[in-house]
Amino acid sequence: MENDNLDDNINPEEQNIKDNEDDFSIDFTTSSAISSVGIKFLILYIPIFWFSGLVVATFWYGYAAGTTNWIIKLLYLPLFLLSLMFLFIFTSFFFCKLLLILINLMCVPKEGIFRIDTKDPNFEFWKLRIELKKIVLWFLRNWPLPWLDVLAFRFFGVKIDFSSHLNDAWVDCEFIEFGKNITVGQGAVLMSSMVVGNYLIIKKITLDDFSLIGGQSTIAPGTHFGKDTVLGAVSVTTLNQILEDGWIYGSIPARKLKLNKYAEERTASIHKVDVDGEEKVEVEHDINIDEDKRKFLRRSSKE
Amino acid sequence: MSVPNSMRVGPFCASVLVKRKYLILYIFLIWVTILPGLLELWAYWQVLWNDVRPLHFYVYLPLLLIAIYITTVFAAIISTKIALMFINILHKPKEGVFLRDRSDRDYRYWSLRNTIKKWPTWLSHKFPFPFLDNLCFKAFGVRTTFSNSLFEGWVDTEFVTFGKNVVCGQGAIIQSSVIIGNFLIIRKTVIEDNVRIGAHVIIMPGTHIGKNSILNTWSSTMVGQELEEGWIYNGGPAKKFKKNRFFEDIPIEKLTREVGDYEGLLKKYDEQYVKREVKKRHLLEKTIKPPLHLRDRLHLGKDKDNDTDDEN
Repeated sequence: MENDNLDDNINPEEQNIKDNEDDFSIDFTTSSAISSVGIKFLILYIPIFWFSGLVVATFWYGYAAGTTNWIIKLLYLPLFLLSLMFLFIFTSFFFCKLLLILINLMCVPKEGIFRIDTKDPNFEFWKLRIELKKIVLWFLRNWPLPWLDVLAFRFFGVKIDFSSHLNDAWVDCEFIEFGKNITVGQGAVLMSSMVVGNYLIIKKITLDDFSLIGGQSTIAPGTHFGKDTVLGAVSVTTLNQILEDGWIYGSIPARKLKLNKYAEERTASIHKVDVDGEEKVEVEHDINIDEDKRKFLRRSSKE
Repeated sequence: MSVPNSMRVGPFCASVLVKRKYLILYIFLIWVTILPGLLELWAYWQVLWNDVRPLHFYVYLPLLLIAIYITTVFAAIISTKIALMFINILHKPKEGVFLRDRSDRDYRYWSLRNTIKKWPTWLSHKFPFPFLDNLCFKAFGVRTTFSNSLFEGWVDTEFVTFGKNVVCGQGAIIQSSVIIGNFLIIRKTVIEDNVRIGAHVIIMPGTHIGKNSILNTWSSTMVGQELEEGWIYNGGPAKKFKKNRFFEDIPIEKLTREVGDYEGLLKKYDEQYVKREVKKRHLLEKTIKPPLHLRDRLHLGKDKDNDTDDEN
């Protein structure tokens, strides 16, 4: 199966890329998984779990020991269990937030480039913050209402409102600023921190209103999304890249494909593309919007 | 980093169930696994339950639940390990290319192993403390250390060897077995110390990644590809992009420089791609003669001209 590999035939000289001494530019994107799981940090999980479990146990005791008829108890049980789950998550929020405030007093989270080293407090506290936030987000995303993870993001200081959707993606929960109506595709990775060799890079990501991120794309730290920007699926931005307003970007690394006409106005016609024949046909198409609601369409109402 | 629940990442076992009778063993394992946890709950009940004042019972209940979960995971790992030992005595797992057919002994046992391992890996990954995954890896013969972070991608649970301080990116796939057409290929994947694997990278069986190398996002490797140590790799199949200097002591001012020359960056990526593409076209022209209508579409031997129509 290796014989049909076309790249086997390339000369060795072609592979010799110049060993540039000063080439420290980070023009590639890696990942930001925690480089090691500090078991000592896990000690923090146990009190969080215990205390929030205690609150839930108290409520459960009150419900079970109450003198109401057992039929009525059974009837309300599903609702009660759901609210207990929410209570558990909410109290673990609370304890996490308390611990986070204490931790942030010890070391203020800041942007920059840090060495991956146990002596660097910035790196150690970054790891600690990530692990603390992880538990709450894990609970929220594993219960039957995963959309509520926006709540956790808001609690941890990320500017975001409920018009955005990000529960199918890997999203860092610090140094990100969301606008309104943002859609993050399935499996996309939004990193505000990145591990490159022996260095940790933390840089803020800003997403302006109505920006859209395609499935499985990767956003590097420091990326800025303009208003109405679309990033296609399977595309990657590099460090500190700025995507302009109203453009559609794609490919690796992200480059301009075309103007985002869908944002300009919602025309009454759409394009049909015949990929095999490489031709585009314009097709008349009615938008299913009532006449009296057309004024709510973006931009078109202004003109 | 928040892991999306819908992606179901973690250590993976291929979802192949060649024979339905494997399910009997699987369900038996689940049964055996849950018993120790129940025993623990019973003992706790006997010791602490008091009808009049059940305060102690409720105070330590959350801690007990953690303990029960961890014992369940341990029981699952141990019972699966024992089952695997018996299976491996019957048929030793080995590398190679096998026929993907029920009659092939290796394919059947590969499927059986993966079916059994699914329960403990699923159980250990459904726990917010990620270190249980590591125990799973170690029990099933993957050499790894606690300094690795392999929890946000899919990592195969046999024939993989890791060094120290490996970072596996979000949604990366590290596999040691692959099905191509009618064949099953199992080869050992070796990843050495300090390798940084980017997000969404796909690593095929038999890949050997040398020390201190970095893989760019969305790059992928071929079956049996060797990556030298100390380089940054890019593209699919992965090729040398530049020398990796990020493990040295660099003054931090040099790193903070902005990527100002964006056109140059695009060119750098394109050159690598174009070089590959030209070589491919050259080979295509020489060896295979594609049909005429197809040749027009591939732009063989002539330049693209109508590509900028989308701009307006």
